[in-house]
Order: sequence, then structure tokens, then C-alpha cells
Amino acid sequence: MNEIEKTEDCCGHGGEGCSDMEKKARDDKGLGMGVIFFIVAFAVCFLSGWLVFPKLLYSSKEQPFNFDHALHVSEMDGCDSCHYLREDGTYNGIPTLESCMECHDVEPLGETEDEAIFCEKYVATETEVPWLVYSRQPDCVFFSHAAHLNGKNPMDCVSCHGHIGESEKCKPYEENRITGYSRDIWGKNIWGIKKNPWDRMKMDDCAECHLEETGHQGACFQCHK
Amino acid sequence: MKQNNKQAHKFGMVIDLDKCTGCGSCMVACMSENNVPVKEDESDKKDSITWMRVYKLNNNKPFPETEICYLPRPCQHCSGKGDHGHSPCVSVCPATATDYDYSTGIVSQIYTRCFGCRYCMGACPYHARYFNWWDPKWPDGMESYLSPNVSPRMRGVVEKCSFCFHRYQLAKEQVYYDGEERIEDEAAYQTACTQACPAGAIVFGDLNNPDHQVTQIVKPNPHPEHDNHDVVGKSRNPKVFRLLERLGTNTKIYYMSERKWVRKLGDNYLDGEWEKADNHHGSSHG
Amino acid sequence: MKVDRRSFLGLGLGAAAGVALSPVGAKLTDDSSIWTQTWFLTPVPEDGEITFEPSVCSLCPGKCGINVRKITNRPVKVDGLEGYPVNDGGICLHGISAIQYLYDPSRVKTPMKRNGDTFESISWETAISEIKQKLGDIRKSGSASKLACVSGDDKGSVAQLFQRFLSAFGSNNFYTMPNLESALALTAQTMHGEDATIAYDLENAGMILSFGAGLIEGWGSPVSCFKANASKKDRGSKLYQIEARLSNTAANADKWIPVKPGTEADLALGICAVILKEKMFNAEYAQYFGGNFNKFAAMVQNKYSVANVSQTTGVPEAEIAKLANLFVKFNKSKSVAICGRGKANDAVSLKEFAAVHALNCLVGNINQKGGAWILPQNEYLQFPDVVTDDAADKGLSAKQISTSATGFFSKIKATSKPDIEALFVVNANPCHNLHDAKYITDVVKQVPFVVSFSSFMDETAKQADLILPSHTCLEMMQDLPSGSGVTRQVVGLSKPVVDPVFDTKNPGDAIIELAKSFEGSIAESFPWDDLEGCLSEVASDIWDTLSEDGHVVVSDKAPGSLPSVDFSFLAENPATAALAGDNNEYPLILIPIDNMRVAPGAQASSAFAVKTVADTVIKGKDGFIEINPATAKNMGIKDGSEVKVTTPSGSVVVRATYFHGIMPGYIGMVQGLGHDMNNMYVADKGVNVNELITPVFETGSGLDAAFGSVAKISKA
Repeated sequence: MNEIEKTEDCCGHGGEGCSDMEKKARDDKGLGMGVIFFIVAFAVCFLSGWLVFPKLLYSSKEQPFNFDHALHVSEMDGCDSCHYLREDGTYNGIPTLESCMECHDVEPLGETEDEAIFCEKYVATETEVPWLVYSRQPDCVFFSHAAHLNGKNPMDCVSCHGHIGESEKCKPYEENRITGYSRDIWGKNIWGIKKNPWDRMKMDDCAECHLEETGHQGACFQCHK
Repeated sequence: MKQNNKQAHKFGMVIDLDKCTGCGSCMVACMSENNVPVKEDESDKKDSITWMRVYKLNNNKPFPETEICYLPRPCQHCSGKGDHGHSPCVSVCPATATDYDYSTGIVSQIYTRCFGCRYCMGACPYHARYFNWWDPKWPDGMESYLSPNVSPRMRGVVEKCSFCFHRYQLAKEQVYYDGEERIEDEAAYQTACTQACPAGAIVFGDLNNPDHQVTQIVKPNPHPEHDNHDVVGKSRNPKVFRLLERLGTNTKIYYMSERKWVRKLGDNYLDGEWEKADNHHGSSHG
Repeated sequence: MKVDRRSFLGLGLGAAAGVALSPVGAKLTDDSSIWTQTWFLTPVPEDGEITFEPSVCSLCPGKCGINVRKITNRPVKVDGLEGYPVNDGGICLHGISAIQYLYDPSRVKTPMKRNGDTFESISWETAISEIKQKLGDIRKSGSASKLACVSGDDKGSVAQLFQRFLSAFGSNNFYTMPNLESALALTAQTMHGEDATIAYDLENAGMILSFGAGLIEGWGSPVSCFKANASKKDRGSKLYQIEARLSNTAANADKWIPVKPGTEADLALGICAVILKEKMFNAEYAQYFGGNFNKFAAMVQNKYSVANVSQTTGVPEAEIAKLANLFVKFNKSKSVAICGRGKANDAVSLKEFAAVHALNCLVGNINQKGGAWILPQNEYLQFPDVVTDDAADKGLSAKQISTSATGFFSKIKATSKPDIEALFVVNANPCHNLHDAKYITDVVKQVPFVVSFSSFMDETAKQADLILPSHTCLEMMQDLPSGSGVTRQVVGLSKPVVDPVFDTKNPGDAIIELAKSFEGSIAESFPWDDLEGCLSEVASDIWDTLSEDGHVVVSDKAPGSLPSVDFSFLAENPATAALAGDNNEYPLILIPIDNMRVAPGAQASSAFAVKTVADTVIKGKDGFIEINPATAKNMGIKDGSEVKVTTPSGSVVVRATYFHGIMPGYIGMVQGLGHDMNNMYVADKGVNVNELITPVFETGSGLDAAFGSVAKISKA
């Protein structure tokens, strides 16, 4: 006799003969396994969604060698000695080897292992350093640094890039395996929850700020190409 | 922000069809500037992506009365009825992939947003929009001439002339660098076709700026036409016309010709309509 | 405890709830939508600093200034160069496409050596030493004159180094492909007895009387002509276009006068006759007219009466008289007459050029604003004398085989023993571009040793025994003098704006290297290390400015003095070359059409250019003939239907397209198609009209004057 029939039998016809305890215990038996399974499955999926999924979703790569922003900022006096607007108003982004070599030579200036790697592997062979860019937007995006630096409401670098200038170590570069975007675009938080303006750099974040600062979100072509 | 806001630009073009030689420089300049790919066979013109296409018109008369004229056709950047920004394509796009930019008057197309329904192609009266039936292909090495200022497109999306909007973006960068806000100089922002045209047949500029040559040639009427309120910006130059002007698409590409038969081909006139339109134009401003 | 259905339900629900409360769903939805946007097959061009590098385009005789936009040293776009004295910012579609030629699928990537029917890659050293070996043997056998060279032109140091190599080697057999510049030089020689060229001040001319010159079809220096044509409305200038077909130039002209092709010289002489008869010629300039002027005047009035000319040309008598009056009296500003059908790089007749030039002489616009200028040749290159030895002297004493490239190929075929042992081809594609192209190909096949310096595996390179691939326009340093009717004499310097994409060389460097591999007088004639070293010496007068500014304006004014005019050539009433073939058998006449969007020169069209071509020129692989609907309907030929076109030289199947603008009785076919090369964008599309035209040689000049061919068509 299967369970349904049993239950029917018990509650339908022989209800009088079944004690409440018995009934409950019998019910619990079925439900209990279900609940356990539910809890286990929930826990596994919930935890892997939070803990394992991000690990699977993002690959992690180290920069070719560590770059000490803090050291360079103090030596060079500010971000714009290396990251600046060119005379045509376009932004140079990450400096080329040529600009690094305005100070650096084949002979290291300091004693760090990282500079030794730089000099030996890149300066000596005149190879561009294949930096991994945390803030790289996809190809369809046109971002005007000039507009944000020299426009009506000038912004400082920290507003979007955070305190990278104070960092001594480069964090690993994490790339979304599906989209190919840097993790910094979506944000470190897997839900995409941001505490600071620089925590996330998706289109909505641009629009939000634009709405606040200029009164409208801007036209598509303002930031797309 | 509305079109007639004093801050807003309204970029447009006037093409002198009497100067146009049909040489094709504008077409190639456009393709090279905007990373338009090339297929092995481009003779099926419906599938051949040419943001700028030069049409050959003729007066259909026998030898030796035959005359021909070339008509370059970029996206007409319609402002829509009454100049309110409801371009035919923008009105039908379910994805906001194409939009009207009130600050420049340019109809934008965002390829990554487009999902290829092609409603806009059906809506466009000028066949200015093209669908990517295939992924673009470049022979070995040729990819390295692609410009980073314009995103290459993938299969399944619609593309069209953008008035070389990236050049506007670059011009803006320069303006910001120089500590200004607005592009005033005509030469600072020119489309690739305008720049390349060896005959100087294309004049491009801001129709809201009276100093710009295009405004001086076109002399657009800021008021709606009295018999058709949909039409705004009609030229007060009797030699200047727009394509299918009476639809009220309010295109920003104006054409100019001394030849009547050419002007007549600019719209589908019923018997007697052309004479009326021509006389009206001639008498009120001529 | 039993695992039952509820357990599974619990498992499922638990998993669902777990996933739902984790970020997986939201994140994957967002990521997968982005994934479709960053499509893996779509290239992402690398960003970088934008720079501009000025240079000069060498793709056609126009020699326009170009400005190459680069992104971190990667060229991405070619624009016209603002302020350049030839084109001032304008650019044609082929110039913009220079960027595509860099990566053209048909490029020859390394030096190649023929091995039976295929080619194998070899090194530059091997290639040079192979040529040295072969040429050495030819020289030893005492037949130095049996080396010939066919070049695109003879201007600029690269072409002149090839000519110099031939001289040092001992051969006179240097030929240029038909081009406007040589026709103009020959006209200046014939009419003024001067080593000069003719330039036309079109941008200041009041009335331009064009005998078929395709001002906007690529005649002369194309962009410069476009500009002059475009400004005519503002200047109140008029263009009268005389030709059989409503070309773009004719359509753009103020008046189109249809004329039977091949009778342009008659019309010009007819107008001369009216001017002379009415004594409307310029009396002031008439004092410079030479002895045979009277004879000429008598001849034209006798032989080229309005009635006669009207009969030959099909132009009404009244029209001829009107044209003459207009030409002389137009608005008091100078009128100028120009000629050379289409791009003028095809058939050229000296009679026609001389007759048209006579018009300019009669109205006295010579060296005047808006007229025809007789400019001394631009001699900025001062080469030292060639050092010759006995073998060279012996070779140089032999007569040049012909005066034209087409004549040269015809003659070497006619003789049973080959007169030529070795042939260099540089910046030219005779197997496609000369009339009777198939026959020319056969001739080239017969030459024992052919060396091609082409950048592409074109029709001629395919027949070569060795290919020494050249850089393309954007990779090459060379001096490029303006010409082709431009009044400003400019020398431009083309600069390498990108490192060579393949293992190619500048042909100038290659020929110097080859010369230096010889011992004795040949090496002595080439005392330079490379082309740049050579230029800095032989162009030392202008080199500093040239290398710094990228161009030098040698002169931009009309010469102060007036040249005398010699009418002797015309006074003899030279015969007009008639087309070969029987008119009864071939009732129609096929004329080549020059189309600006199709490149007819040494380089085939780019992918960009082919894309712009109308679907009545190429449809799929099919080519077209243009036919007047009246002619077509008589023959029962429908628009778009296939027809077989037969001429004495061959026959092809193409489609017919109706065009009211072509004279009834004529059919037209666009030039520059039907390429046989490894380039899917241009190969096998349409047919090569040159395969259908039989050359006819003009008596006296020896030039190929076949403006077309007799033809017949039938339904295919």
C-alpha cells in the first residue's frame, strides 16, 4: 500500500483510531526528508551562488609585474604626470613604454624586483608592457576624459577610479569569462551593490551621475560610438 | 532639451547636385572612415552596406536630350513631423537602439543595443539603413586598418550614417581641452564625405548657426509651412529642396540644383502638383 | 526515513530558492546579454594616439598630396592634404583606398621565381643574382639592345633610374604606357619644336572646349580637374563637351555636343577653318606663326569646310560656326581647348592633339591666364652622364624598335627571331591595359626572360619569370613630379608612412642594387647606395626643401615669352587613323568607357572602389555593354539580357544595359574590368575591353590611335 492510500485510509476512514501523535509523526516523516533536502539544496546552491559562482565566473590574472602607484605618485607629483590629456584633447590612458623611458632606463633606478623585471624584459627589448586595464570599457563606449576633467563640473580622478593612486600593490585583474569585461565594471560585489561611486562603472552609473549633475541622462551618442 | 534651444546644434548638409560628379569619393571616404566592411560580391545593392550611396538619376529622354545627375544619399537625419524629433525610424524602434539627439539633431544608432528587428528599415523612406546579414570579414591583415573611433558591427544589427559622430566627439575633446564648451568653428567638425569631396559639392555645418555656410545657402524657414504644419525648416532658396519634403520628415540633408527636372525628382508629384510647388517656391522667394 | 517524492521536491525547491537568493540569476542574465553584444567575430580595433603624416599619392598621374591618419603608427585613413598645390585637400576614391592596397589579397609577398606553371619564393639576393646572371649572358653575346623595359611613365627618379640602367646596359628600348603626359610632350614638340609639356589653366579659363576629355572621369590630374570643373559656375565659366556618349563630364557640362568618335580632329580643324575664314584669329600672336601657317590656313579652308566637317562628324553646320564664334569671343576671357578621350591613357592620336592645340594657338591663349601653357620640362633631376662601355655603345647604336609600347609589342611578335631577350616591367600592366591584351600576353610569354616589379600578382606579373615585388604607395619613398596638364609644376615626395607589410622593396633601390652587382661601367653609372642617396645628389637643388616640406613648387606662372608655332605637321593634312575591320561585317562601333570609380591603370581597382560600381557595370561576375535603346530594340535585345559581342580581336558574352545617352550605333564598355588575379573583390568581374580592341597605328607618330573597335552583337 502506498503512502497516499495509507494517509487516506488513516484520516479518511480510520480517523478515530489514529492518535494525533502518530499522525504527526507519520506526516513529519515525509515532510522531514523534504525539508532536509530543501535545506541542503538551498544551502549548497545559495552558498555556491555567493562563493563559488564568482570564482568560476571570473578568471584572475596577475599584472606582468607589480606597479607601485603610491611611489610613483609621490615621485612624479600627481596622476597627470603619467595619465594626461593629449593636445588634441584625447586621453593617453596607460602610458606607453616611451613615456616610462623618459625616466627609466635599462639600468633600474631603484632596487625593487619589479623594476628589474621591467628594465630587463621591456625596456631592454623595447616591448610595450601588456598591462591589464581594470577600468577598460567595451569597444562600443566612448568616454571623454576631457569632458569630465575640463568640463563645467571638473571631477578628480578619485571620483571614478577610487584610491588606486595610493595603492602599493596591483590587485589581480579579474576578467568575466562570459563578457570579457574587467570585474571593476560590474563591481567587486557580485550583486553589483556599490558603496562608493567608483565601485561600479556600468551605463546606469554614468546616467545616474549625469542626471544629477546635468539634469538629463544624455543622448546615446554622447558616450557610444 | 529641445531642438530650438539656443544651446542646441542642428547639424545638416546641403549638397550641390550641379557640382557632384558622381566620382564616388564620398562613398569610399565614408566606408574607410566608418569601418564599413566589403563583401566579395557587392553588386546586389540591397545588401551592399553603403551609408553614403550615390544614386544616378536621369531625365528619361532619348538621345541626345538625355541628361543625368548624381545624388549622394547619406542618412537624412529626419527631425520628424513638426521638428519634434520623432524621426520615422526612432518612432518604431522597440529597443531604443536608434534615438534622436536633441543637442545635435543627429539620429543615433547603437549597434550593441539593436536586436535586428529591422522595423526602422521598413520605416525609413530613404533606404538609408542597412542590415548586417553576415559577420563582417576582412582579408588577412586588413583588420589592421580599422579605426578605433567607430565600433565595427556584428551580424544581425542595423547600421547607417551617423554624420561621422565620432568626429563630433573628437572635436568636443579638443574644445574641452582648450577650455571651451561648445563647437563654434565650422571646420572643427566635418563629416568624412564633406572633407573628401573633390568637387566641394557637400557643405556641412550647424543649421542653427547663422555664420555657417550651410545655413547661409539653405536659409531654413524656422516656422512651419502654412499649408502643412508638419514641414519645418523648408529652404527659402528656390534652388534647394529636400527629399519627399511634403511627408514632413524634416530631413537635414538639403539638395541644390539649377535643373528643374532634378528638383522635380525630389518628391512624387501628382499631375499639376509640381508646377504649383515650383511656382509657389519661385514666387514667394524668387 | 525514506527518500520519497517530497524529498525531490524539497531538493528542487531548495536549489531554486538558493539560486534565486544568490546573485547567479541576475548576473548571468546581464552577462549573457552582454555576451551577445561583444560578439567574438567582431574585431576590436586598438586605440591609441592619433597622428597625421603627409605624403604624396603615386597611384595615378595626378600626384595628389595625402594626409595619412595613424593610430599609434598604424595607418587607418587617407585624407587629402590641405594646401597641397595640386589637390588642396580633395581626394579621389582610389587615393582613399591606398590603405586597402597595403593588404590587398593579390600582393606579391616575397620575390618569386617561376617554376613551370607556378611560382616559388626566393630571397632578394638570389633574385638579384639570377637577373645579373641572365643579363650578363645577354651582354656577353653582344646583344645588349635586346633588353627592354616597359614603364608606367618616364617621370621621376624611379622611372629614370630604369631608363638609365637600360642606357648603361646598352639598350634604347625603354617604353612608357600610353599616357596624357607623353601625348602633350609630343604635341609641344610637333607644334613648337620644343622639349616642353603643355598645361591648361582650367581654373581660370572662361570657356573650356573639351574634345572628349573626361574632366571628371579622371583626365589629367583628376582632383585638380574636379576642382576646376566645380568652380566653373561661380566663375561664370562654361564647359562644352564634345563626345559620342553622355559621360559624367558631358552631363555636368553646360552643353554636350555629340560627335562621332574618331572625328574630333576633323571638328577641331573645321573650327580652325571658320576662325581663319572669318579672320577671327589672334593677330598679336599670329606673328609667332611659322612658315607653314599659310599652307595650313589654305588646307583647312579647303579640306575642312563646315559642310565637309558636318558630314564627317555629325555635328550640324550651324553648331560648328557657333562653336567657333563662341570659342573666340567668349566673355573676353580666354577660352581653351583640350582633348584626349576619357582619361587619355588609352588611344592617343597626334593629329587630334595637334588640331586641338592649333585652336589654342589661333585664339592666342598660349601662356596666357586661362589658356594653354607651354612649360619647359621640369628638369629637377640632374643625373650625371651615363658611363658606357663598348658593349653598351654597340647596343645604343641600334635603333629603338618602336615609338610606343603597343608598337613595340606588335613588332617583336612580327619577327620570327625574337628581337628581345629580356623585359623589365615596372609600374605597368601591359597584358591587361594595352589593346589586344590577349595578343600582348602571348608576346610577353614568348620573351625568354621577363622581370616584373609589380606589387600585385597581376596579368603581366603572372607571365614573368621573376617577380621583384614593389612597395605600395604608402610604403615607398619616391619623388613624384606633377604633370598631366597641371599648370603648377610641383615635385612631391612620397614618404613611407608605414613599415613594409611584406618582403618588398622600392624598385628604385632594387635597380640600384642590380646595377651595383655588375662590374665596370654599369656599376659606375650608379654610384649611390640607394634611391634616397641618389635623390639627395641628383635633385640637390631642391632636396633640402623637398625632404623638409614634402613638396617644392618649381613654377606656378606662365612663361613670360611666347613660343613660335609650327603648322607644318598639320599643313600636310595627316591621315586620320581608321579602325581596323570591315564595317559591313561589323556594323556597330565599340568604345571604351572611362569610369572614375574603376581604376584602369597599373593597379586594379580596390575592394572599396569595386563596391561603389553600379549594378549596370558589374552584376555578380557579369560585365555590361551600354547600348542605346533604339539600337537595341532594332536588334531585339532586351535590357539586362545576355549578348555576345564580337570584334576582329575576339568575342565575349556580357549583358546589355539600356542607356539613352549613348549615340545610336555605338556600344560602350567600361574599361579596367575583367581582371585575372587572386583578388576576389575584383577578379573575373566583367570583361577586359582591351581584349576586344585591335590597335591601329597612326602614320607618322606611330601611336596606337584605336579609339574603339568595329563590333557586332547578337543574342547570347
